[in-house]
Amino acid sequence: MQEFLLILKGDGMSTLSPDEMQQLLLKYKAWVQKLGDQYVAGQRLQNKGSFMKNKDNVMTDGPFLEPKEMIAGYFVIRAKDQNEADTIALSSPHLGLYQIEVRPLVQPLMH
Amino acid sequence: MGRQQSVDSIVEHLFRNEAGKLVAVLTRIFGPSNIDLAEDVVQETLLAALDNWAPGKIPDNPAAWLTQVAKRKSLNVVKQLKTVQSHRKDLYAADSNYDEASEIFLDSEIQDSQLRMIFTCCHPSLPMESQIALTLKILGGFSIKEIAQALMSNEETITKRLYRAKAKIRSDEIPFDIPSGNKLELRLKGVCLSLYLLFNEGYNSSHPQMFIRKDLCLEAIRLTFLLTQHFDGRAEFYALLALMCFHAARLDARLDREGAIVIFEDQDRSLWNHELISKGFNYLREASKGDRLSEYHLEAGIAAEHCMAKDFKETNWQSIYDQYELLYGLKKNPIIKLNMAIISSQLEGIPKAIHALEELISDKELETYYFLYATLGVFNLKIKDYEKAGGYLSHAKSLTSSEKEQQFLNKRILECQM
Repeated sequence: MQEFLLILKGDGMSTLSPDEMQQLLLKYKAWVQKLGDQYVAGQRLQNKGSFMKNKDNVMTDGPFLEPKEMIAGYFVIRAKDQNEADTIALSSPHLGLYQIEVRPLVQPLMH
Repeated sequence: MGRQQSVDSIVEHLFRNEAGKLVAVLTRIFGPSNIDLAEDVVQETLLAALDNWAPGKIPDNPAAWLTQVAKRKSLNVVKQLKTVQSHRKDLYAADSNYDEASEIFLDSEIQDSQLRMIFTCCHPSLPMESQIALTLKILGGFSIKEIAQALMSNEETITKRLYRAKAKIRSDEIPFDIPSGNKLELRLKGVCLSLYLLFNEGYNSSHPQMFIRKDLCLEAIRLTFLLTQHFDGRAEFYALLALMCFHAARLDARLDREGAIVIFEDQDRSLWNHELISKGFNYLREASKGDRLSEYHLEAGIAAEHCMAKDFKETNWQSIYDQYELLYGLKKNPIIKLNMAIISSQLEGIPKAIHALEELISDKELETYYFLYATLGVFNLKIKDYEKAGGYLSHAKSLTSSEKEQQFLNKRILECQM
């Protein structure tokens, strides 16, 4: 098993109606339940923060990017390979509202 | 184990109903010029529920959880705004302490906020179509898409309409309160009319998606019920509520299993919702306690007659005809004349009714009303004048864009050719 970071990009939830949010909640909850131990963590990011290009170029009070490029949140999941991780990402109810990037985490070498 | 919890443990439309309540409550804190801000905070609150409930556990009392979070978020917003703009007079809680602002979140006060919101959304300086869209969006928690579908419009138009309405609330400084005394008298009629039209949008809409129409009707009933609770003894609110219950009770019988229109005469009365009908009668009883006779009393009385009749033949047509006549005395609407002509077919026979209907064709308002020609078509079909029937039915078809209505007319046109 390997850990993967699912990076969600976009502003998909800002225009959802209450009913749509409730439907998303139910699907999202079912998704997490189905993943069981393969679900490790997940969090939404607040829509603010700062951006540092280098020591001399620090930007605060974003947004710094186009809404569709903004990172909205992430999940960490466990999967046996990229293929399974992709399948999990494809089954996410967030897909469609957000674009999802699926990246394997590098595991530190054990000595 | 939180993750084992059933995902169905929150009631349908919980978010929508709570959002409607919370936007009203927060508007009392932020002021009616800041409805947008209230909506944003509520959106954030629902997102917080997603963050916490999806990977974790849905709380035992989800509504209370949402209220708590909305309260905390809104008080934070007030605190922030106070530091940035120390002279914001429009913020209710700006000069009061935390406890005072907290009181707004008590159950009794929530209802009060919703009533204020009804009067703000149904303010006479807003155009009627904006009143309805605003009421659905803000009090009902409906999405722009749902509103556009229900009102047979598009999302862009509705978005613009809402934007302009909110701007008008700001520029005209439309208050967020429940009028009293003389002012109340002036406003009651308008509020009744807005809710009546909101209901009709659901009831008469030919939108194929039944659930949206039903939700609209139920929302109108919910808001009218709120008004009866606050203004106990206002007969017209009870009459309006009774009317809505009687009509809503018959909603399911208006389409058959395939979703085709079933005309009143052929409706399966066992599909009528008897709980709503008995509620309707209770409200009608309350409505008749006052000494006023509003148009809603008469319309509710007519609907009650239909609900009382065991079957179509047993209907007390004379009583219905008389009530329509009284109604026409209150408002000179040609559609009432149309209904009277239809009822007269039961009292004096179809040929006389056809004659009365044909006289209405010259009425400016009915000239292009598909229902007049559809009725003429169906009546002529009944007396086997197929040629005339076919002509009226085809003309009716050219006047409606609703697929369901066209299907209904096509079927009748085929009958003419058999």
